[in-house]
Amino acid sequence: MSAATPSSSHSPAAAASPANASQEVAPSLSPYDQAILDYLRARGHHDAEKAFLQEVVEGRTPDDKTKPPEEIGKDEFIRTLAVFAQKNSRPGENQLKDSGTVLQELTSMGNPSAIQNLIASIGAVGSEEVIAADPTDREEGFRELEAWVDGSLDMYRPEFRPILFPIFCHFYLDLIQKGFKDAAQKFYSTFSGSLLASHSATLHHLSTLLLPAHVQNDELAQRFMNEKYAIKMSRSGLSLLVGWLTEAFGGEAMGSGAGFVGEQGKRGRVAVMAVVNNHLSFQMTSTNPTAVSPNAWEESTGLLSSLIPQASGSTTNLTNPQAFNTGKGDLKLGPAPISEDLRTETERVIREQALLDREPVPYDIQMTRTNIPQGLVAPTEADLLPHPPTFKTIDIEREVSAVRDARKRIRLEPSALNNIDPNSSQATLQRSRALPSICAYTLHDVTEGSPCMTFSQDTSLMAAGFAESYIRIWNLKGDKLRGFRSDFQASSVKDVASLQKIREKKGSTTRKLIGHSGPVYSVAFDPICGSAAPPKYLLSGSADATVRLWSMDTLTNVVAYRGHENPVWDVKWSPMGIYFATGSRDRTARLWSTDRTTCLRIYAGHLSDVDCVQFHPNSLYLATGSSDWTARLWDVQRGTSVRVFIGHQAPVSCMAMSPDGRYLATAGEDLAINLWDLGSGKRIKKMTGHNSSIYSLSFSAESSLLVSGGADWTVRCWDVKGAGGLKTKAGENGVVEAVNRGSRNEETQGTSADLLATFPTKRTPITNVQFTPRNLCLAGGVYLSPEQR
Amino acid sequence: MSKPLKQRPAQGPTGGVYKVDALKDLAESLNITLPDAVASALASDVEYRIHQVVEEAARFMRHGRRTTMTASDIDNALRVLNIEPLYGHTPYNPATFRRALPFPQSTSAGPVYFVEDEEIDFDRVLREEKITLPKGVTWNAHWLAVEGVQPLIPENPPAIPREAAPDPNAPAPDGTLANVMSADGKTSQAVPQVNGGSLPGANLAAANSKLTQQQQQQLVKQVLSRELQLYYARLTGSLLPPTSDFAKRTAALASLRSDAGLQALLPYLIRWVAEGVVGALKEGAHTDADGKVLEVLMDVVSALLENHALFVEPYLHQILPPVLSTLLHSSLPPSHATQLRTAAAQTLSRLLTQHSTTYPSLSPRIMKTLLLALISPGKNKGTREGAIRGLVGVGKEAVRKGLVEGGGAKVVSSECKNSSSRESVALLNTAMEALQVLQPPPSDMTDSLNRENPADHAIITKLVDLVGEHFAARIANDSAWAREIVGIAPTDS
Repeated sequence: MSAATPSSSHSPAAAASPANASQEVAPSLSPYDQAILDYLRARGHHDAEKAFLQEVVEGRTPDDKTKPPEEIGKDEFIRTLAVFAQKNSRPGENQLKDSGTVLQELTSMGNPSAIQNLIASIGAVGSEEVIAADPTDREEGFRELEAWVDGSLDMYRPEFRPILFPIFCHFYLDLIQKGFKDAAQKFYSTFSGSLLASHSATLHHLSTLLLPAHVQNDELAQRFMNEKYAIKMSRSGLSLLVGWLTEAFGGEAMGSGAGFVGEQGKRGRVAVMAVVNNHLSFQMTSTNPTAVSPNAWEESTGLLSSLIPQASGSTTNLTNPQAFNTGKGDLKLGPAPISEDLRTETERVIREQALLDREPVPYDIQMTRTNIPQGLVAPTEADLLPHPPTFKTIDIEREVSAVRDARKRIRLEPSALNNIDPNSSQATLQRSRALPSICAYTLHDVTEGSPCMTFSQDTSLMAAGFAESYIRIWNLKGDKLRGFRSDFQASSVKDVASLQKIREKKGSTTRKLIGHSGPVYSVAFDPICGSAAPPKYLLSGSADATVRLWSMDTLTNVVAYRGHENPVWDVKWSPMGIYFATGSRDRTARLWSTDRTTCLRIYAGHLSDVDCVQFHPNSLYLATGSSDWTARLWDVQRGTSVRVFIGHQAPVSCMAMSPDGRYLATAGEDLAINLWDLGSGKRIKKMTGHNSSIYSLSFSAESSLLVSGGADWTVRCWDVKGAGGLKTKAGENGVVEAVNRGSRNEETQGTSADLLATFPTKRTPITNVQFTPRNLCLAGGVYLSPEQR
Repeated sequence: MSKPLKQRPAQGPTGGVYKVDALKDLAESLNITLPDAVASALASDVEYRIHQVVEEAARFMRHGRRTTMTASDIDNALRVLNIEPLYGHTPYNPATFRRALPFPQSTSAGPVYFVEDEEIDFDRVLREEKITLPKGVTWNAHWLAVEGVQPLIPENPPAIPREAAPDPNAPAPDGTLANVMSADGKTSQAVPQVNGGSLPGANLAAANSKLTQQQQQQLVKQVLSRELQLYYARLTGSLLPPTSDFAKRTAALASLRSDAGLQALLPYLIRWVAEGVVGALKEGAHTDADGKVLEVLMDVVSALLENHALFVEPYLHQILPPVLSTLLHSSLPPSHATQLRTAAAQTLSRLLTQHSTTYPSLSPRIMKTLLLALISPGKNKGTREGAIRGLVGVGKEAVRKGLVEGGGAKVVSSECKNSSSRESVALLNTAMEALQVLQPPPSDMTDSLNRENPADHAIITKLVDLVGEHFAARIANDSAWAREIVGIAPTDS
């Protein structure tokens, strides 16, 4: 900071130059530094005082010295600041009163020292005079900013565009808070247009805030006021921005106005600067701004600091989800181990069956031995949730049928479709190898809607929860559902035959389960029997805040699990049964065990509803998707968040984990499906193509194909391994069209290249898609008759 | 109560949904007078609260897997917000709002809506109306996709018709034929093959067209019966290679000439011919085998044209390239050259006589191609010979136009003036033969032109001018012929 400040002579306030930094206290020192100085002086530590002063003036922190000195026009900065100081214009919001803290924060963020100087000098002015009496300042300021952003170079524009949104929000909130309702509404209607495309939900919410009291009470508004809005920007981009803010130069479009001219223009600029200083935090990237993909901003922009869980004890607010994810270390994503006894027993049974059936090729014994995919760490048995030490007959049957399923599975290889001319003759052949067969189960005559549906793994049972608070189960094989009677003598039951006798005499293929007192939002069959036998239990979660366990033997409610205070949106079994997880409107996810009525763990941290939960295939981790637009991965046993996935621009509606344990797919109300790498926490790609809400996702058994179903009455198949990006257009009816057909209609515009096929139904929103263990895809939904609203 | 959540109107909150006036009306009905400021603040607050409830209700709607908000969503939202629900609204019978008649005193009040409250007479309902229980929920299953292909069954939506692609295979003679033939790319396909220099380009074009053909055939998806496929295999097998049994080949050609059920095979046969010709010519076409192949292929084309049961017209533009290529190719195998060119010319002639009536622009187009081959400099002698033969095939007028008026004969004679190679002789002979087409029917009295006679001399000069020295000398022997060529009606001198 050796630069002399020419303007300092007539502006003592801005004299942050060593010329004035004598033994006497420099007037530019912030109150914070001043306090330290006073203290040192009072205690008589003259050397320390000198050193401190030196350090304060030379360069605020040692960090600054490492910064490249050539990047900032310090002189210019201070010169402009001096002008401001002279004009005695409003330095910023009242948060700036204590510029020391701001300074500190900025320092910790690693901003260039230029900004720090800026703030230091502004703080020194210390003027609290509010010139915001004229609300048009902000309008003017935003107009200028927008013109500047739009006029900037192509390579910087994607970087600058995200700035507009937070500044818009803050201006709007400021106006509301100051009571300028009409001005705020005018501001909103003038400038919201260009931002609505990507931020419609947030903007709509903000537009409903009309009184200062609303801003005080509204959660989102408070987050805007209290948190920093993170923006990723390259160093050169930031220096351009700072340059424009201070000098109104650079990047101006031709004829878009001469920048900030006149008194009002300056005040507008001050208003922009105040928001930039107080509410934005810039993350420096060294990458070339042109090399950033168009969707990358989604992952690193927003009010991130509260979305990222805080490590206990640490006080620094992380604004980078990647930093958090890498800080949490590696995960054990490999398949869960099977106990040695169970495996040997399974192998024995398989061998016996092979002999019995006189199968030409005996089952591959090695299939039972789970081989760990490369690059994944498999957990040991000690890592798993506690399970009963002994295994039962059903466990063996399940493992045996799993081996049989793996052998008889239809292999789906969507990668075979790559580089093949969609019209050539092999394409049809390849398509049949790449794409699944889908069986659609359609419900008719549903009066009030059925929010959920599920199929048992052996496809013998189907269950649907209804808005009228009941659950209905169907036997898909046509057998009668007969429960045990309750009027029997315990002494009469001696063997299996007598047990069969106490079953109900009559029955039908469907059964209504009544017990909930609110819409049933989720149902799940237990996985213990696998595909070997019909499931024994059904779980359901409802708006009445309870989760209920239904026995498929008695066809009655066995347990009601109470604990959530609000509607339970989702319930899922752990992959090995016994445990299950729920997500609720009370912003928590919880872990339960079937034999306890209280929950075992509470996973708290989401800022809004937990909309969906999903166990990792090895049951070590639990993924949750939330209305705060993020998904998280939790360590099931420790209850800590180990990964956070930021990138959706709307609530997360459903999710799926790949059977190989590597990927998480989440679908959001922004109509996108994001694919995440669990290990690194990074987004692999964004898949777009649905044009209404997505209700369900499912991976094929090889994890190579993702199937989604949604409110646009379609089932879509996605190539997991393929490259994404907006490119080709896939036609309806499963026809993949040639690329160079020209744009057919707007509907296919936003479709990404990895959409393999789209299968429309007549009028059935698909509420559930799932793969059977043999890779047949089942889809379920409620037919929406045209006269229904 | 229902409000579509998707595609929210992009309007700002200007004015607000809940109007100040409405609030004032409400206050007046309770005998409270509100100052303007209070009313406006209250209206803003009411609107905010409504939005709060609606946002909450939207979550219930989303989790209810619906895209329409119902009264029950609002109920649930009110419940979780700890507000007493509004009773009396069920999703079963949505409230019907009716617009009130305009109030005469204050027209500025805007439209007023009210909920229709129907009076129900219990006695009547209990006595008369039969209340039917709703049907229970039922399910059915169907295949949405079988191995990635959506079966066309009633449960699935009908296939979306793909937009009409320009498909030359479709039998739509007017539009498509003109379309393709007028496209310069197609007609020029035959031309590049003429000058051997640009053969690779021609091959590329041919390959391209083959590719598009293939694609289009896949698109059309014409299912050939097994019998036809077998027949096709046997047929092509017996025709080629030409070394095969002669009797078989004759039988195959006879079948092509007369069998009625071949329409479905026609595109495949034509493609097979086109590929065969391209293949034979590409390899240089110097060997005898190539010549034989071409010969057979020409036979196939003429057989197809002879078959009255076939509707060849849509495929004309695909037949023409192989025929013209054979006719005009620079280097046919010497042993077969004449025969091939003659056969091709005959086929062309037949094609034109059959189809030029329904497709009037066909002969001009072919004429143009032939003329180009005949006149433009730098062509091979073989090409010129073929062009002349082609012109003969097209007709008398074509010969006159090409050889005489177009200066083809002059070009030929100047080219062959100083050469006595076999090719030149053949070319001269061909040209002479062509000119003989113009010869009037031989009369018993043939007198040569007399150079002394001024009128005859003028004719000779003109003749030389038109056809060149060489031919003029030969034609001058017959004055009627000469006059015919020059275009002067024979005078009785």
